[in-house]
Amino acid sequence: MSDADTPTDAEPSHDHEHHGHEGPGYATPQAALEEGEREELAYVMSLYTGTDIDEPDFIAVVDLDPDSETYCEIVDRLEMPEKGDELHHFGWNACSSSCHVEGLERRHLIVPGQRSSRIHVVDTKDRRNPELVEVIEPEEVFEYDLSAPHTVHCVPEGKIIISMLGDADGELPGGFLELNHDFEIEGRWEPPGEIEMNYDYWYQPRQNVMVSTEWAAPKTYYPGFDLEDVEDGKYGRRIHFWDWENGTVEQTIDLGEEGQIPLEVRFLHTPESTHGFVGTALSSNIFHFWYDADAGEYRAEKAIDFEAREHEDWDMPVPGLTTDILISMDDRYLFGSNWLHGELWMYDISDPSNPRRADSLSVGGTFGEVQEVQGRELSAGPQMVQLSLDGERLYWTTSLFSTWDDQFYPEEAEKGSVMLKADVDPRNGTLELDEDFLVDWGECPNGPARAHEIRWPDGDCTSDVWQ
Amino acid sequence: MTETYAVTLERADGSDRTIEVGSGETVLEASERTDRAVPFGCRTGACGTCAGRLLEVDGTRDGEGGDDGQTSDGTEGSATVADAFAYRREPRALKPRHRESGYVLLCIATPRADCRVAVGSRARSGLVDNPWK
Repeated sequence: MSDADTPTDAEPSHDHEHHGHEGPGYATPQAALEEGEREELAYVMSLYTGTDIDEPDFIAVVDLDPDSETYCEIVDRLEMPEKGDELHHFGWNACSSSCHVEGLERRHLIVPGQRSSRIHVVDTKDRRNPELVEVIEPEEVFEYDLSAPHTVHCVPEGKIIISMLGDADGELPGGFLELNHDFEIEGRWEPPGEIEMNYDYWYQPRQNVMVSTEWAAPKTYYPGFDLEDVEDGKYGRRIHFWDWENGTVEQTIDLGEEGQIPLEVRFLHTPESTHGFVGTALSSNIFHFWYDADAGEYRAEKAIDFEAREHEDWDMPVPGLTTDILISMDDRYLFGSNWLHGELWMYDISDPSNPRRADSLSVGGTFGEVQEVQGRELSAGPQMVQLSLDGERLYWTTSLFSTWDDQFYPEEAEKGSVMLKADVDPRNGTLELDEDFLVDWGECPNGPARAHEIRWPDGDCTSDVWQ
Repeated sequence: MTETYAVTLERADGSDRTIEVGSGETVLEASERTDRAVPFGCRTGACGTCAGRLLEVDGTRDGEGGDDGQTSDGTEGSATVADAFAYRREPRALKPRHRESGYVLLCIATPRADCRVAVGSRARSGLVDNPWK
């Protein structure tokens, strides 16, 4: 694909007017599935923080067009202005939640530094050559007694809310930072004191609900994972249900011993639904949550249990470490990764209370049956996942967090991460590793880099919300 | 006049270099004036990315620091770090066992003596082990 036929004006690849809306994104999840074209580029968070390579982190632009001469290559690297950010998660200035807002476009990426607390704004008008346009420096963030930015969601009317995991010192409590449509800090989104720990969040505006999860204080998880901190109760195991309009916690559910470290959380895409799932990374379980109208409150139940496995080189059974999950745009499947085991899985959630295992792949990590692709040794298990809008291609990267990588997969720093792909058959519920697909961060010009979250220019299964 | 100290940064491969660090600046800040900064992240003492381990103060080897980085007597090890560095703010990323083993956060540590410090990701990764292996 040449630049000439790259859509450069950030105009989504479908005609809004024919579908009754004039803003960014798609009218419904089904419209995203029908109208979204095949992903031709990916933006991937890429980093050197925590290694001995004295270079800034960068956003990798990956060519995903199989007809392109540069398929599976990093075709652009947008370096951050400073070092030490630890780019991690990121999000858009606007998504389908603003699909009725005329003049707003999905064009700017909000890219936080997890360690630096610096927040970057990147213009993707030229999709293949994104440009840095704004930087919010850490000192500006610390003024609101917040640090460690994580999940970015745009909310209707062009506002952006970022979950913040700590206070200005890296202690608890965390909170939420709101940016306005000019990418300036508007202030704290919620009244301080609603929560202690924070991590990921998702909102379902039609149900006036937001759900947030818990990792730990930044000073606890930043240096690495210490089991003593779990024993001391310094890691989270609760999820919080918020009144979306008021920004107040209405209900907190303690998931208990089986729900330790609840990380990625997703509501179903259908705006009517009150069902969702959260992956509890340390316990390696998936909890299903839903609104119980009779009781007038949310409930959560363990729905999937990944058993720890014995390994001859390990003193203790190896937990799966369920670090990422996502829901297909048709709400039919839940996908996720067990990073330590080296497993990707796909569950049928057409009955959300009773997920049914459809298929899985054993690749990389401690137990993966596939340990190399195209001769490239895999140094870690599948971690961040992203799915094509049509649900037919699942991609993943292999780095979790620099310090945690060093504990469990030290070779990831020396070799760099990879991005891999599986072909999904949503009709038959199967996954197949695409051995022709490999993007290798070990070959970056400044040395091996890690790769984390993945997004497509036209929205994806973890970015869009419908009003 | 600001005093300066000679801080020798030793890497895991055994190579080293000595930088001059003013008593009013951090080791990270001084290293940024050279062609190679020590690794860092938050710059506030919360994240530990910059952690190094003190090996020597004023030419005297830290007798408490064994190969495994553990001290046999935590109190003396802790005193050794305090001999070499003052902190601009609390080193929150370090637990008591780290402080006793000679770990030091170079993003907030200002020198009080000539010293030698193990730096880099290998030195830092000693803060935590794989708890199950």
